[in-house]
Amino acid sequence: MLAGQIVNGLVSGAMYALVAIGFTLIIGVLDKLNFNHPEVFMFGGYVGLVALPHMPVAGAFALAFVVGGLLGVLTEWMAFRRFVGSDARTTAALSSLALGLILTDLVHKVWGTEPLRLPPLTGWLSESFGLLGVNFLNLQMVLLAITFALMWALHHVIAHTRMGRQIRAVSESSAHASLLGVHVLRVNQAVFFISSGLASIAGLMLALRADTVSPDLGLTFGLKALAVMAIGGMGDMRGAVLAGLGIGVLEALMFHFGWGRLGELTVWAAMIATLLLKPAGLFASGHHGQEQRV
Amino acid sequence: MISDHLFFTCINILLAWSVYVSLLTGSLSFAQGAFMAVGCYASGYFTAKMGLPMLHATGLAALIAALIAALVGYPALRLRGIYLILATLGLTFCIRVLLENIDFLGGIGGFGGMKGGDLPKAAVAVVLIGVALWVLSISPLQRVFDAVREDDRVAAALGINVTAIRLIGFSAGAAIAAVAGMLYGHYMSFVRPENFDVTLSIYVVLYLVLGGVNNLYGAILGAAIMTLLPEYIRFLADWRPTVFGAAILVLLLFRPDGLLSFRPRTALSKHGRTLSAPGV
Amino acid sequence: MSSSAILTIANLSKHFGGIHALNGIDLQIHEGEILGLIGPNGAGKTALINTITGFYRADSGQVDFMGHNLVGRSLHDIGRLGIGRTFQNIRLFKRMTVLENVMVANKTYAAHPWSAFWGFGQRRKAVDEAMHWLHTMHLSHQADVSAQSLSYGEARRLEIARALAGYPALLLLDEPAAGMNEGETEALIQDIHTARSQVKAMLLIEHDMGLIRSLSDRVVAMDYGRKIAEGSASLVLAHPEVKKAYLGEDE
Repeated sequence: MLAGQIVNGLVSGAMYALVAIGFTLIIGVLDKLNFNHPEVFMFGGYVGLVALPHMPVAGAFALAFVVGGLLGVLTEWMAFRRFVGSDARTTAALSSLALGLILTDLVHKVWGTEPLRLPPLTGWLSESFGLLGVNFLNLQMVLLAITFALMWALHHVIAHTRMGRQIRAVSESSAHASLLGVHVLRVNQAVFFISSGLASIAGLMLALRADTVSPDLGLTFGLKALAVMAIGGMGDMRGAVLAGLGIGVLEALMFHFGWGRLGELTVWAAMIATLLLKPAGLFASGHHGQEQRV
Repeated sequence: MISDHLFFTCINILLAWSVYVSLLTGSLSFAQGAFMAVGCYASGYFTAKMGLPMLHATGLAALIAALIAALVGYPALRLRGIYLILATLGLTFCIRVLLENIDFLGGIGGFGGMKGGDLPKAAVAVVLIGVALWVLSISPLQRVFDAVREDDRVAAALGINVTAIRLIGFSAGAAIAAVAGMLYGHYMSFVRPENFDVTLSIYVVLYLVLGGVNNLYGAILGAAIMTLLPEYIRFLADWRPTVFGAAILVLLLFRPDGLLSFRPRTALSKHGRTLSAPGV
Repeated sequence: MSSSAILTIANLSKHFGGIHALNGIDLQIHEGEILGLIGPNGAGKTALINTITGFYRADSGQVDFMGHNLVGRSLHDIGRLGIGRTFQNIRLFKRMTVLENVMVANKTYAAHPWSAFWGFGQRRKAVDEAMHWLHTMHLSHQADVSAQSLSYGEARRLEIARALAGYPALLLLDEPAAGMNEGETEALIQDIHTARSQVKAMLLIEHDMGLIRSLSDRVVAMDYGRKIAEGSASLVLAHPEVKKAYLGEDE
């Protein structure tokens, strides 16, 4: 059923968007790529695995956010603290990549490489409802609602709070911000906390929807969010959301019309095309990409 | 079996070199898995399905990989830094998905039938390519590469065709990865697209980062350490990604150019030079 | 002094967002002359060099260099056509030696990848040529020193040597005396005279008015991306518009 697929696509898109927002936030503020991000996303699912037998879903989400956030702060400390400035971008990216390797390996050691089933959802969350002849899962609605709530919350924090102002100042210019008294390190830590916390929640969402956690699924999905971010525009949060939803729906449509196997190709090909033709991103309002062309 | 280990060490050396050659001109590529796959599948097709001798098949496969690299590289190499990293990552994904969907090459199930890869051939490849890289390192072209890598706009203002240089570096890297792919395929006799995934591309870059990015010996060291040590130290084999990741983390903090961080001297340096003007 | 124009700039404009770095500027450089270019910070002097050489893409206007149109050409095309430059913030290849910096600028030796790969036979000749340029700029004793460890004055001289090594017809110098003391500046004047004999024409951007007076045949003053005065050094430096432009900043 097409409408059902589209809703599914929106849910996927919402998850892409959450992860992409995190990537893009770090690019916007530190101008660096955090390659540990997909791994934190993957880990969110495992937080759920551990937490769900003992607490309600809402608690698991909160825990995922905190654990993810802490992993983010750890990443900042280990892979980004020492590498300041635009020359160190590649080094920082490689460092975070190395950290990601470690995290993935630890997950493999503790939980193995095969997919594991989550405890089955009970109660209201496992039910569905019908509307206009289409069957919707309550879970899908909840996931969508959570995503939009989080995005709204993030927007509110960035636009209307003191921390948000500081974040915006640092993303314009960390040198200027620091001269104005902004504690750049705290801002970086906050940004990593938020971004990784969101990724972790998204990972839990993916696990809930699929009913399983697995390292591979998490990493593939997480890396695709990287492509989504590039398509939406590096450093552009609105772009990340639009691109995420767009790609999610596009993939669903491709699946519906029988082109599922090429779905992955589409995302990456679209990313390559965007980088070549409009490196600032399809939906971006900024000019982040301009210095990158020779 | 030690010959197995040495064989894979050779393959990894070649792959690390393929990253190195591309990096010489300033392009850090995460696409070597893709080019290895191209080399493997193309050469395998030529030998197993068309009956060509291995040498010819290798040459053709390397050429195909270089052409793909040039085609993709022409627009892509104008990107820098993290943008290029993303684009090359994307390329790896794309090639893998394409291979999974091309049925006459076996699709997801894999492709087989090629044989004849062995340690002597791998060693010969390593020696030949190593010598070529050594010749490069003492030639003037090395300094042209360095100029492009250090400040490409100034290099261009001096009349150097930066785009051509970048394409050469990227394509040469692709060709070397293709040779590695050929050897791998003909040794394993059967491959699947998943053997050439992003993880491989990432590891290969990290071998180079570990061993040293500024000269051709770093690739040898990095590949040798990460391929051979785990065979003899059980702990390393079990915890390979963690140990590797930790090593890279520590290394990047204290010695970001890698273990062997010296830059090669070229023939332009003082050896054998005469002063043209008296006195000064 | 021949009056044929080597470089003709007509109505050249370049803007970044709302800022007009170049605002319809006209300029000519004639064969055999050193044209001094002065103006307060932000007047667009470096932007002009950047636009001529292709570091910036002009938004509108024309640049004609010895019959070739430069607008829209790539950096390396323009370099090959015979324009050499130095940089305000010194952009040497720090990881190479002094000699290598100059050798890499040798167009016949380094420019073609194939001959550069096999070019061992040309090496002796190329080294000699590079040493010649280093000797001209009093740097031959530093030939094997890493470019990173040069003093400020030496680095500036190396940039000039490197620019000259490409046998440019037109040499563009961007504040070569910045940061130099009086002794170094005197020596620089001599070096620029030497350089002058190697090229067809020169553009000299400077804040040091003494340097401008002693070296320039003509002077152009810029402000806000336009030409505001043109003529001999004494004429331009006494021009009311020019004085007004400079009053707005500390000299």
